Amino acid sequence: MATVTADISIAPQSAPERVAAAKRPYPGALVVVEGIDGSGKSTQLYLLKRWLEIGGYRIHFTEWNSSPLVKSATRRGKQRRLLTPTTFSLLHAADFADRCERQILPLLHGGYLVLADRYVYTAFARDAARGCSPHWLRNLYSFAPVPDITFYFRAPLDVAVNRIVAGRPKLKYYEAGMDLAISLDRAESFRIFQEKILTHYDQMVETDHFVLMDGTVRVNKLQKLMRQLLGERVDLKQFAPKKK
Amino acid sequence: MTRRPSYDPAAGPNGRSPKRSKKGKNHSANGSSRFYGMPLPGVRTEDLSGSLIVVEGTDGSGRSTQISLLTEWLEGEGFAVETMGLRRSFLVGEDIDGLLAENAVTRTTLALMYSTDFFDQLERRILPALRSGLIVLADRYIFTLIARAAVRGIGRDYLHGIYDIALRPDLTFWLNVRPEVAFDREFKKSQTISYWESGRDMSLSNDLFQSFIRYQSMIKREFEYLSKRHSFIELDGEANVSKVNGLLRKRIASQLGIQSTKYEPSHALAHLWR
Repeated sequence: MATVTADISIAPQSAPERVAAAKRPYPGALVVVEGIDGSGKSTQLYLLKRWLEIGGYRIHFTEWNSSPLVKSATRRGKQRRLLTPTTFSLLHAADFADRCERQILPLLHGGYLVLADRYVYTAFARDAARGCSPHWLRNLYSFAPVPDITFYFRAPLDVAVNRIVAGRPKLKYYEAGMDLAISLDRAESFRIFQEKILTHYDQMVETDHFVLMDGTVRVNKLQKLMRQLLGERVDLKQFAPKKK
Repeated sequence: MTRRPSYDPAAGPNGRSPKRSKKGKNHSANGSSRFYGMPLPGVRTEDLSGSLIVVEGTDGSGRSTQISLLTEWLEGEGFAVETMGLRRSFLVGEDIDGLLAENAVTRTTLALMYSTDFFDQLERRILPALRSGLIVLADRYIFTLIARAAVRGIGRDYLHGIYDIALRPDLTFWLNVRPEVAFDREFKKSQTISYWESGRDMSLSNDLFQSFIRYQSMIKREFEYLSKRHSFIELDGEANVSKVNGLLRKRIASQLGIQSTKYEPSHALAHLWR
């Protein structure tokens, strides 16, 4: 673990040089999409995944909060509304650690192109919006390998919020940030919560080298750009099917 | 930038990083020093009128026995007592039991599940108790969690960073016993040695006794470091129960302003008094 811990730095201002200079201790590559709900990131990553799958590339897809390990605890905590900003954050970190140690790291060492729908930046933005200290959060996730490229999908708040609210009958308690007691109205609470998250995301564009993607651009056009940018940053040949 | 914690988490066991003044121990002067660094979100330290007393020590150090006796003594003196310990949170206590039984969990995940367990108890049970002026007796605290993870190769600065937002105890006792003595006591009690208490996940030795001794020795070394760093009150856990209990009562009595330290266990607890 020591080989990858130092990369996501506790001190964000010193990160750029280090990331650029980082020699990865594994042959794989990590591609991340981030952005608030409704920014279009999952759609774009799905299309990217399909493109790579069809081409026979050596890839693996992973998403935030999908480990069976802490599912019962998360369910219990959410149903009964027991989670504080700190335990909410720790539980997700435990979940991520499980995925990282048992899935992401072995795959990177095994030479896979790993596609992650949301990564530690989701925790940095969301948990900071809940009141956790950014410094504490950076430390908490410092065991995570640094992505080779992070696509940050940004859509105007109204566009993103409307996409979610229109497609969902009811916003969930924590999803809407109701635990923050911002507003008794779920839709309004959700909107204000997402706005806070967006502010935290925006602050990471420079410190964490996000590649900014305009979530309002037409889907196929944006996908074309995403594929091009990926090819520029990651040596895709490495993951291409071997010719016999 | 967030301010640095008042002890230096970057220092390893042999680190000689500059230590801040010892003023932090006297929390009465400055409310925020009841925490190591940044307080937990939403906690007003001036509201915490109770006391937090920690008893640390390995299995077989007599920790739980002492806590039972102290609880009875304090209740007899008219103090309301709340206790905390490992894997006792409603949120994830049982989940950790399950993970340990399955034995397929990786070290960082386990460390973070334990920290979730810790903070769930601290935020939802212990802080309310301290706000109500209760005495909290902690059957182990962050130090065991730090030591266990550190011997498994997780960075000490990382661990200190997580527990930086935890409440600083008013008193921390360490019941220090040699691993050999802990082994004898544990074996006598359960006729076997637990997988985790002997560090079997670390592949130290196939011989259970050797594994236990090596693992507990590593833990002990971490505690020796933590003891200096966090001003533990070290007690000889190999002394008999009544003697250790007398020392604990004396120190706690002076902390809480209790005049008399006289105590005889009730009939229900008399079997512990040896």
